[in-house]
Amino acid sequence: MKKTLTINLGGSVFNIDEDAYQLLDKYLNNLRIHFRKEEGSDEIMNDFELRISELFSERMRLGYQVISIEQVEEVIARMGKPEELFYDEKQEEETASDASAEKTSYRKRLMRDPDNKIIGGVAGGLAAYMGWDATAIRILLFLLIFLHGVIIPIYLLAWIIMPMARTATEKLEMRGESVTIENIGKTVTGGFEKVENRTREFLQSDKPRNFFQKLADLFVQVIGFVLKFIVVLVGVISLPVLALMLFVLMVVVFALLVGGSSFLYHISPFGWDFYTGAPWGLVVMGCISFILFLGIPVFYIGYAICQSFFHAKPLNASAKWTLVILWLVSIILTGIYFYQTGWNSLPWHWQGSGVGFTI
Amino acid sequence: MNAENVKSQMRKGTLEYCILLLLKKEPAYTSDIIQKLQEARLIVVEGTLYPLLTRLKNSGLLSYRWVESTQGPPRKYYQLTEQGESFLQELEASWQQLTDTINHIKNS
Repeated sequence: MKKTLTINLGGSVFNIDEDAYQLLDKYLNNLRIHFRKEEGSDEIMNDFELRISELFSERMRLGYQVISIEQVEEVIARMGKPEELFYDEKQEEETASDASAEKTSYRKRLMRDPDNKIIGGVAGGLAAYMGWDATAIRILLFLLIFLHGVIIPIYLLAWIIMPMARTATEKLEMRGESVTIENIGKTVTGGFEKVENRTREFLQSDKPRNFFQKLADLFVQVIGFVLKFIVVLVGVISLPVLALMLFVLMVVVFALLVGGSSFLYHISPFGWDFYTGAPWGLVVMGCISFILFLGIPVFYIGYAICQSFFHAKPLNASAKWTLVILWLVSIILTGIYFYQTGWNSLPWHWQGSGVGFTI
Repeated sequence: MNAENVKSQMRKGTLEYCILLLLKKEPAYTSDIIQKLQEARLIVVEGTLYPLLTRLKNSGLLSYRWVESTQGPPRKYYQLTEQGESFLQELEASWQQLTDTINHIKNS
């Protein structure tokens, strides 16, 4: 007896065994990782999914009701295992730059380890990075708490900053193993997963252990529970503070939106044409360039913030250059405007002319 | 430098040419292209073709339209664009040149 899942693949619905689903999911994820840098990667993935969907549909017509793992294996054999698919490209890369490939593929990254975690996976990730034993690091961290409490906020900060190693590539990078086709391929055939879970299995298995190992396991589990409790407690306590901060932020943004626009209106050439008597076209040009002059940096900063929070795509090079050039042009035009209308149009000269303004 | 490597480079270089040649004869479904290439023993697994077709489409050499299928999802029906045809002519010329060169060296 097996549990089945319902999936939507290329717009068709299939019932699929759970193990078959996991294999298919891993396969597609590995392809996705591989093609992510390619232009039109979504389309390529879509082609793969549609073709697999087509092959499954043929199966369904033969009277099968459920996709089994054998059928997924058959499909993968037909579409090509990652190591078969990427063989050519790998060869090419190797011949192109032996040295640099070596360097990049062995680069280690500090990441949280989802397969070896008690609280956030920080210690596990640190252990993978340094090549130490995770339990040793946990005990060390715990002892450090008594030495100085500052370790708790540091841990929380590390939890926030260190990314979670989710994909096969990231897990390999975390361990500093080379991201080769063989290694990624292993995740599809399942060999790698076993290595990953070894620590966890060890913790949960009934393998005979010596007294110290048992003690360490117990110790780690107790710390885990206590620390989890503390984290939740801190979260509950700081919730009202966070809510207050959010509220203040909203008020500030609102005030800037309302007050800021009138302020901008006053200092922008929109508000000046009454005082300077400059030609109409010049004022419009001045307005547009002034808005770009202020707006482009604001837009860019805003975009950068959004990007780091929501993992949006970074701006491509041409868009960046367009912005830079636009901004330079806006500086020049704003300069020309000031030169043409004279420095008297600047806000601090207005009081003299009897027109006051307040922010 | 091994023979496998050189062979795969050669295969790769001719794969695009072969796809364009196939599509010049008649527009075709992706699965037809795959089948013909497999018959010609040029590719072994289907997966190699999808990124290639997308690349060719993005550089404007191929275009496709969706065709409804009675069995399963709609399928892409690829055909050569004008740009693709002139590209193919260039390839034909250089292929001719290449075989001439090799024959010349072999026979001399």
